[in-house]
Parts: sequence; structure tokens; C-alpha cells
Amino acid sequence: MLSTFLSHQWKSFWRSRNKAGSIAAQIVLGFFMLYFLVVAVGVGFWMTAIIEKLMPGVNPTVVFNGLILYYFLLDLAIRIQMQDLPTLSIVPYLHLNISRKTIVNFLNLKSLFSFFNLLPSFIFFPFIFINISAANGFVTVLVYLLSILGLIVFNNFLVLYIKRRAINNVLFFAVGILVILGLAASDYYGFISIRDFSNFAFQNVAKYPFLALIFPAAAFAIFHINAKFLTANLYTEELSTKDDKKVSTDYPFLNRFGRAGELAALELKLILRHKRSRSSVIMGFLFLCYGFFFYRMPLIENDEFGKMLFAAIFMTGINISVYGQFMFAWQSAHFDGLLVNKINYHDFIKAKFLLFTISSTLITALSAFYGFMSYKLLLLHLAAYVYNIGVGTVVVLYFANFNYKRLDITTSASFNWQGVGASQWLLGLPLLLVPLIIYIPFGIFDKPYWGLAMLALLGLIGLLLRKYWVGVIVRKFEKQRYKIAEGFRE
Amino acid sequence: MIEVKNLIKGYAGRTVVDIERLNIRAGETVGLVGNNGAGKTTFFRMLLDLIRPDGGEVLSKDINVASSSQWKDYTASYLDEGFLIDYLTPEEYFTFIGSLHNLSVAHVSDYLRQYEEFFNGEILSRGKYIRDFSKGNQNKVGIAAALMQKPELLILDEPFANLDPTTQIRLKTLIKNLSTTQRLTTFISSHDLNHVTDVCNRIILLEKGKIIKDFYTDENSLKELEAYFSE
Repeated sequence: MLSTFLSHQWKSFWRSRNKAGSIAAQIVLGFFMLYFLVVAVGVGFWMTAIIEKLMPGVNPTVVFNGLILYYFLLDLAIRIQMQDLPTLSIVPYLHLNISRKTIVNFLNLKSLFSFFNLLPSFIFFPFIFINISAANGFVTVLVYLLSILGLIVFNNFLVLYIKRRAINNVLFFAVGILVILGLAASDYYGFISIRDFSNFAFQNVAKYPFLALIFPAAAFAIFHINAKFLTANLYTEELSTKDDKKVSTDYPFLNRFGRAGELAALELKLILRHKRSRSSVIMGFLFLCYGFFFYRMPLIENDEFGKMLFAAIFMTGINISVYGQFMFAWQSAHFDGLLVNKINYHDFIKAKFLLFTISSTLITALSAFYGFMSYKLLLLHLAAYVYNIGVGTVVVLYFANFNYKRLDITTSASFNWQGVGASQWLLGLPLLLVPLIIYIPFGIFDKPYWGLAMLALLGLIGLLLRKYWVGVIVRKFEKQRYKIAEGFRE
Repeated sequence: MIEVKNLIKGYAGRTVVDIERLNIRAGETVGLVGNNGAGKTTFFRMLLDLIRPDGGEVLSKDINVASSSQWKDYTASYLDEGFLIDYLTPEEYFTFIGSLHNLSVAHVSDYLRQYEEFFNGEILSRGKYIRDFSKGNQNKVGIAAALMQKPELLILDEPFANLDPTTQIRLKTLIKNLSTTQRLTTFISSHDLNHVTDVCNRIILLEKGKIIKDFYTDENSLKELEAYFSE
């Protein structure tokens, strides 16, 4: 049965409409993975040398022990953002004579074939085989291996669990991130020391080998919780939604923009009435915290905007890149209806610009609290904001014309994980990198404010020429509309 | 009203629609019949400029539908749920469609009052989004929204499917009345030969994309069609 599922998935990948796009994405991802793997192998084999160089005089095993839990905490933070949830469109299988257990098992098994599960073994195993085995012998090696594998599986299923819960309840995601951030922060400020704790734990594990069973046990527990949650939620979502009364709403604020405003109101309703889109908007607000990672006092004092630009562009334009990359496909379920009705394509495109501009303005206004750190950050955000609404929106909407893949936002959000992993960020990457490339020359020649002005200027030009861009996009849209509609009908 | 010239569409090397010439005059109620795969829906989609034909053209009031969107001013259609914006309440949807034709909210609700019988109390103020309705009720929303646009040309794909018997009969009377009072030109496809022969005054039979029969209905039409399909 499992192999049948696999072959179906294989077919769905190769027969998908956006094959070229997804293959390209896979290749780029593949290069990234290869790079990290090589780095991991290097770190693994030269671990002793690296430790001795960085911390001379300290026993490498102590440092190594301290590193383990530290690594897995970091691993958790990265996985939460990057690890893809295993997908299988289960609806066609549910009514057949296939036990739920088989379906759940398939999903769980498949998740283990992840790059993130491979990486730690390359980093840790060489040291274990070389140093630990020389010093402590066979049993200790076995115990270490068991612990590492346990931690890998534990992290794997913990992240899947958090992500699955987060789809229906963003709070889970927030709590998960906050706990990790809290641990990292308290380690950073010296309240607790994860390294000392990790070292303490693994020294005890080496002393009393049976303690190592804790890790596989924890892994098994979270696996079990995850499997139970999945089994219990194999229903399509409608069965569990509350039966509250839906009311018609109106956004008078948007009415002043005429027909485009009406269409924007329509899309706003789309965003607010679907879990998928709603949670991506809420994520946008959560990512407002990104600045705390990137903005550091020394950087601000030296006007090194290049190192902070990424965060600024990302935060102020989050909705443009996250919502925009699936553009038009959000409306795939009723795209035919939009084409057949008396809707001017200019208004259609203008509505999207309007929505982007409003959401970007809102987020930028909220991000003003970084102004307490320095007024310079406000300038940075302003430049990033103008660039985003002037240039970013145009780019996103132009490329939306090449997206033919239907996006199902109505049926069973719990099993609809299109675009909740690394591939999602990958598509947004060029959008985020271009402004950086524009800025870099100014950074090199030590003219940071000119760099910001340049970005803002480009954005302003884009804004002033918006009418022209709308025309360009509409012309492309008119050519592409049959293809888009056909893809969305599938 | 509608003029079709050498319309051809194929998928994967197979011709799905191949109509050399077809003229529809204003005020006609045309029924399109044919088995699955005869090309009915594909033909409708080309009428509505949703699919680019491989060859030929569709002229609506002498203008090619692909080159100008003027036809949208007087054409209303409902092919499938893909035409509905399913996350809206029916009221919101009607208001939106109405606003595209410059109808005020008051106008729309005024109009909807006429269709209370047609809706049978199941559509309005039920506190549900369109996506939460059954297929039959979704059909009703789509058909009513199409009729609300006061079209000169109405295109409905399988309008009787999924409707309950009462509504089927009501819909038939509705279409018959409109074609006499407003000179509405209607294009209907259906698998139900009874309904088609009852409503339409002209029947076009499609097989593998080609028109093989095109005649005005009389009392023998039903028998004729049944004879064809039972072969």
C-alpha cells in the first residue's frame, strides 16, 4: 500500500501543471542541501581540530557534549520555518478500503526522509566514532548514537506536530516560536546555560547508559501524539467547523476607490474567510519580530544598512511576497466567473495593487516601534516600504500571470500544505535579494544614505508610473488568461 | 445574435469541437444535447471566451468575443460552481454581481423579491456562505444571478441537474416567459430530453464536436431524439 501511495505521489509530481517550476525549485533546493551537507561533513570530521582551535585547553568531549542540545534547539528553530510537511491528498483514499493507520503511517514515514534528519548525523557521528569510541568504548558509542537518533526523530515529529496544529490555530506556532526564542534568550543573557546542561546530560548518559533511553522514549511519545492527532483529524475540515451564523459585511472604506475598491473588498473577504490566507496574514504580523534578530546597535551606529535591509524589506513587504506568490490562484475556484462577468481587467489588477499598498502601509506603520531603537531604522523602513509598493508589487503581479496552478483553499485546510515550507520562501527570495543587490554598491563606497535614497527613488518611480505598469500587466494578463483559466479549472 | 464560423478546438490530438457554421437569431431558445464528451461545455466556454479556439471564431452581435469584451454587457451565464464566488453569502454575491451592472443594493433586493418562489426560502438570509450550500442550491444562486443581469443572451450548462423537481418546473416556466416577454436568446445544454424539448424551440445535437442535427421543435421532436440516443 505504501508503495502505491509513493507511486501516486511520484506521478502527481511529474504530471503536475507547474512541473517546470517545481523542478527548478527542487534543483535550487538541491544545491543548497548539497552545500550544507558538505559543510556538515567537514565540520564532522574536523570537529576536534575546530574545537581545539576555538577553545584551546578545554576537553573536546566537554565542548562536544555541550554542543548537542544546543544544536538541536537551533535545529528546531530552523525546521519550524523550513521543513515541509509531507503531503498526500487523502480525500480520494478516505472512502476506500484503506485503514486510517496506513495513511497516517505513510505520512509519518515519509516525513523521515527529510534533509534535516540527515544533517545532524553527518555532524555528530564522525566525532562519536573517532573520539568517543577511543576514550569510552563500544557501549558509550552505542548510547550516543541512540541519543542522537532519538533527538533527530523527536525534533522531526515535534515540528510536524506544531506545524499541523498551527494550520488551524496560529497560537500554536506563536507559542512554539516564543518557547524557542525564550530558551535562546535566557541562554544568551546567562540565566541558564544550555551548553552546561547538555554537557551535564551527556556525561551522565555516558556514565549510566540506560539514561540514553530517554531520548528514543521522548521521540516515540511525540511520534505517538502526532499519529494520534493525525488519525483523529483525518476528516475533511467541514465536519468539525462550528455552525455559527455567517453575516454579510461591507467595507465602506474601500468604496471610495470605485470598482477597484469593490474588487479589493471582495478579495479582503476571501483573505478573512479562509484559514489558509488568514493565517498567512497573521504570520506576517508575527514576523514583525524579525527585526530583533537583525537590528543590532553596532550596525545601526555604523550605518551598515546592508546587513539590516533584508529584514526591513522582508517585514514591510511580507504580505506582498507571501500572499503575492500565489497570486490569482487564490481566486482559482471562481476564476471563470471573474472572466465571464463584466469586470474590467484594469480594475482587477488595480484592486490587487490597492490591497498590497494598504497591507504594506499598515505593516510599515506597525513596524514604527523599531523607531525606539533608532530613528535610522525608520528611514530604513520607509525606503524598504516605498521600494516594496513601487517595485515589489509590480514584479509580483507580473509574474502572477505565469502561475497556472490551482490552489485549493476551501477544502480541508488540515491536509492542504501547499506552500508551508522551504519552497515557499525560495520563490520569495529573488524579490528580497534584488533590493540588496541595488544597495550593495552604495554600501561598499560608504554612502549608506544614498543607497536608501536610491531604493526609495526606484520605488517612487514605480509608484508614479503605476498606471503604465497596470497597462503592461493587463496586456500580459489578456494574453495569458486562457492558460491561467485552464490551469485553475483542473 | 450569435454567429459561429469554422470553430475548431482539439485536446491531445482529438477534435472536441468542430462547428463549421451556426447562426442563432435573437429570441431563439436553443437546446444543446449530446452525450458526454460531445463538446457541449467546451463549446459554451468558447462562446464565453474562456477557451481560445484552435481555429475559427465566435461572433456575438458581429463582434468577435475574443477581441472585445463588449458581449459581457448583455450576456449572462452559469456553467458550473466555478462561476460562483463561494466564500460570499448569497446576498453579498448578488450585490456584487448587481454592482457590476450598476444596480444599487436596493435594486438588487427588489429584484430578488421576484424570485422568492424560485428560491423556495432556501437561499436568502440563511446565514451561510455559498460554499456551505448544497449543489442544487448553489445552482439556484448561479442561475438567479445570471437572470438578474437582465441579459439579452443567456447561457446555462445543465441548469436542471441537481435541482429538485419543483424548481425544475419553475425554471422552465421562467425561461419560457423571459423568451417571450424580453426576447431573450437562450442557450441551454441538458441531458434531460424531456426538459429540452419542452423549453426550447430549436435543438442542436452534437456528436464528437460536430453538429449532426439542427431542427425546430414540434410534437415529434422528443421521439426523434429518443430514437437517436437509443441507437
